[in-house]
Amino acid sequence: MSLEQAAQSPASAKRRRGGFSQHMNEVSLFVAIAVLYIVFTATAGGFMTFNNQINILRDAATIGIAAWAATLIIISGEIDVSVGPMVAFISVALAYLLQWGIPTPIAFVFAIAIGAALASIAGILRAYFDVPSFVGTLGLWSALRGTALFVTDALPVSIGRNEIVDMLDRPVLGVPPAAIIMLVLFAVFAFVSRRTAFGRSVFAIGGNPHAAFLSGINVARIRVALFAIAGAMAAVSGILLLSRLGSGNATAASGLEFDVIAAVVVGGTALSGGRGSMLGTLLGVLVITLIGNGLVLLGINPFFQQVVRGLIIVVAVLANIQAIKRGAARNKG
Amino acid sequence: MINSAARQSSARTIIASIEGCTKRYPGVLALDDASFDVAAGEVRALLGKNGAGKSTLIRMLTGAEVPDSGTVRINGEELTQTGSARAQESFSKGVRVVYQELSLVPGMTLAENLFLGRWPRKAGILSYSEMEAQAEEAMKRLGLDLPSSRLVAGLSPAERQLLEIARVLIGKPKLVILDEPTSSLAAAEAEKVMTAVQRIAGEGIAVIYVSHRMNEIRRISQSATVMRDGRIIDTVDVAGADTREIVRLMLGSDVAQAAALETKTRETVVLDVADLALAPKLSSISFMLRQGEVLGIAGLLGSGRTELLQSIMGVRPFDRGTVSVDGKPVGRPKYKGMLAAGFGYTPESRKEEGIVPLLGVDENVVATDFAAVSSKGILSASRMAEATRRIVQRLHIKTAETDTPIGTLSGGNQQKVVIGRWVHADSRILLLDEPTRGVDVEAKAQIYTIIRQLAAEGRSIIFVSSEIEELPLVCDRVLVLREGTLKEEFTSPDIDQDAVMAACIAGH
Repeated sequence: MSLEQAAQSPASAKRRRGGFSQHMNEVSLFVAIAVLYIVFTATAGGFMTFNNQINILRDAATIGIAAWAATLIIISGEIDVSVGPMVAFISVALAYLLQWGIPTPIAFVFAIAIGAALASIAGILRAYFDVPSFVGTLGLWSALRGTALFVTDALPVSIGRNEIVDMLDRPVLGVPPAAIIMLVLFAVFAFVSRRTAFGRSVFAIGGNPHAAFLSGINVARIRVALFAIAGAMAAVSGILLLSRLGSGNATAASGLEFDVIAAVVVGGTALSGGRGSMLGTLLGVLVITLIGNGLVLLGINPFFQQVVRGLIIVVAVLANIQAIKRGAARNKG
Repeated sequence: MINSAARQSSARTIIASIEGCTKRYPGVLALDDASFDVAAGEVRALLGKNGAGKSTLIRMLTGAEVPDSGTVRINGEELTQTGSARAQESFSKGVRVVYQELSLVPGMTLAENLFLGRWPRKAGILSYSEMEAQAEEAMKRLGLDLPSSRLVAGLSPAERQLLEIARVLIGKPKLVILDEPTSSLAAAEAEKVMTAVQRIAGEGIAVIYVSHRMNEIRRISQSATVMRDGRIIDTVDVAGADTREIVRLMLGSDVAQAAALETKTRETVVLDVADLALAPKLSSISFMLRQGEVLGIAGLLGSGRTELLQSIMGVRPFDRGTVSVDGKPVGRPKYKGMLAAGFGYTPESRKEEGIVPLLGVDENVVATDFAAVSSKGILSASRMAEATRRIVQRLHIKTAETDTPIGTLSGGNQQKVVIGRWVHADSRILLLDEPTRGVDVEAKAQIYTIIRQLAAEGRSIIFVSSEIEELPLVCDRVLVLREGTLKEEFTSPDIDQDAVMAACIAGH
């Protein structure tokens, strides 16, 4: 009996510590968001208006929808850098589909299928040919942007009037549909990541791919599926981009992939895989979006904004890691 | 008398000696009043089962550990430093170790590897000509005739091992310690390493050779020191000692007798392996596993035990042979297909291949069968907890909660979870590779009980172990794997650990 207790107590202490540090991540992100709100409300005129808050939500959707899928990819120990060009490519492809007179809902389905199929190339290269996902998606990054620019000559591809596409940019009770879609997808991803065999397998693969394989988890198939999902999510972003701009645009969403990765990492997901959470990414997306929005309102030189943003992202991650470490150390004592 | 054989020759120049050393770790007496010496030009074999104190003895000589009492002398001078300075002191007196794990950088040349981190420089620029000249000289001393500008990536395992040895020859060593240098090599390749060892000794360097392969020991060393329970048991003249006697010294006689296993005649053959070969490790392996049987496979490190299990499971493609399940050949086994046929496999390295450390016990258990704890594709938290609790209770896993991260559990409990996941999947044929490695005594006993219980339920189990003394406790039958084939078979209750050990290390 005493032996059993002796064996149990350190385990349970560590468990509390683990739970606390996970908590710590989200708590410190909440604090960061609160600080950003206080600072921007005090210094940036028009930050706290309803319209601006809606803007923040709409901007968050651009990063968020891709970030949900990117979170799963990074938890599984992979990376996807092809998001921005994929979004732009899909908006162009969809614009052409609509120009050819394909019924809008079917064109949407096609667009999502194209996104999934293209992204799964990187997944297949990773899963069956051991090509690092960074390389595979870097190839896509270059090829997709290039194809879109080549085909359109960098000019917007207009779609004319389209009731369904326009509807996607018309606020519902003041809330843009993009934000609603983002939040619905968030709920889906949060559920899938926690409550399905697929979601838990992603964590297992990121935590120890050998053990996952030997347990009978189909590691290769899940890796391909993850990239296909990421492609589908980028396609959803591409559809929303089209509805927002009214045209397919090969130069759009430039640098989006870095915002997405930054949001996931700021959200506490480990780049080494195996650890992360959807809620963390949600908060990370808010942090990145708030910084972008606030800096614009402050009227900071757009070139210098990039410097400030870079600094804030690194400091946020540094502070988060320190907070988790301190939390763990306090709990240990 | 202790050291009697070695002490007889009078013209010995003692290079290193340990006098009355004791080292205690929490809960273990790792070294108990040990005295030992080795002379110039001598190849001394060091024998003892896992945990006998061989590595502690080596750590004394290298200065990696300070003895609680007793002295360590190199070249007649006592080591006086503590901490990391002590290892430096021992190193500067000429003590070098070649470890089991190879520490070479595959993408760099032989010369660069030999000088790793200590590359000769002229005015801050690497001097390749000097490096390559010195490297080729060191390799020539071992009979390794390779251009030093080649990449390590293209070398055979034996050549890599020789390169490791060549690395310690740079800088005039006095004592070279080799820790199972041939364990990862096939017999023909081991030959090259032994020739190299003889050359080193011929130069007047003292060599300590840790190995369990008696035929190697007989080839290259005159005397062998046997350790057990942290003590030096004896140093014997290799030529005059027979293998059984050495085994008796290694295992001792105070071993608890195996509780007699109930012997049943078992009829149904569930797994039949015929003439399986995988070059260069395995040639012509044939055996059968019957329902409800625990079949032990004994063999030294590197004898091909893991390769055999992985071949059967379809993780490692083999060259030829057939694997039949329930009398039907499966062709080329595929891992997924073997799992579907009711197999379960636990790997040798728990940390690298067994557990997902950040995930809870529950998720580590149910990963083998998510469907059993889901309804309509959604994981049910309550069913997951219930399934895990069942496994935790059956296998006596000590964990605070069912979702405690498995990385925080002790090794023994982690191992029970890894076995438990196949109980969750209701596998009927379990292939367990070293399930008691790195596990404490109490957990070992529990794992033996668990294995017997699983067999009593009609599951069939292959139990691979390098700890000979546990085989009679668990197995109905033991096969000995040596030199790529199954050499001998022992059946309960006639599984005599001395005989099994002798069969494992036998050198004719």
